[in-house]
Amino acid sequence: MSTLVDDDLWSAVGDPTRRRMIDRLLTDGSGTATSLSEQIPVTRQAIAKHLAVLDKAGLVHGATAGRERRYRVDEAQLARAVAQLNAVGSAWDSRLDRIKRIAETIQRTGGGGSAEPDTQHERIEKE
Amino acid sequence: MDEYGTIEREIRIDAAPDVVFKVVSDPEHVKDWWPDEAEYEAVPGKAGRIGFRQGDGSVQWEQFTVVDAEPPRMFAFRWTHAEEEEAAHGNSFLVTFELEPDGAGTLLRMTETGFRERGWAEAVAAEEYAAHVRGWDFFVPRLPAAVAKAAR
Repeated sequence: MSTLVDDDLWSAVGDPTRRRMIDRLLTDGSGTATSLSEQIPVTRQAIAKHLAVLDKAGLVHGATAGRERRYRVDEAQLARAVAQLNAVGSAWDSRLDRIKRIAETIQRTGGGGSAEPDTQHERIEKE
Repeated sequence: MDEYGTIEREIRIDAAPDVVFKVVSDPEHVKDWWPDEAEYEAVPGKAGRIGFRQGDGSVQWEQFTVVDAEPPRMFAFRWTHAEEEEAAHGNSFLVTFELEPDGAGTLLRMTETGFRERGWAEAVAAEEYAAHVRGWDFFVPRLPAAVAKAAR
């Protein structure tokens, strides 16, 4: 189910350590549990667990190279996570624009700060 | 944005904090910029609800509980918790408006948090209602023309 994927994706990027790991992997191109644990102050075991979460969410892919698995970021999947977050943000952008328009109209039409008459005034205007 | 899971916005408004406070908190005004229906009192702890009209004319209700109301400085609410639950960390999204005087106007800061606790799917579902509302803004003015065309 796509819903489940979205939940995994969200909790995967919701953790600060995992985001630092993604940052490192993006900067370096790829990395292993060992190389990441040298760059981030977390044990190798913890890094391995985080990598498993990221892998499950499709944010990184591992390939066996020598002794250890080497991971890369799936940039398309990361872009998808960011796009979903932005969708929520842009909904708020348009709500805030409307708040601004409404408040400025009330201010201009002389509503000032007094409570009741103003609300009435707006109601009449709306109808 | 440092923290995924929190949305932060800031906007300057050429209106006094009193006016902006009313627009972000008074259910009659809130309906002008967000839901189609708003039934709540701007009193902390009081449970209420907001509604989004669906395509078939029914109303999709969401729980809405005011968390904090300090006119004209701050207004906060939680929404989308289940009807039988009390709004709390982990079961809802928390929206906070902070208002700061800026000359004759107001600096309005909005944060919405709770995405991490709730999971992404719910955040997306919540946004679908918002998209729906925006959809109406777009379609309603075009309806008379569409109806006239269909009647021919």
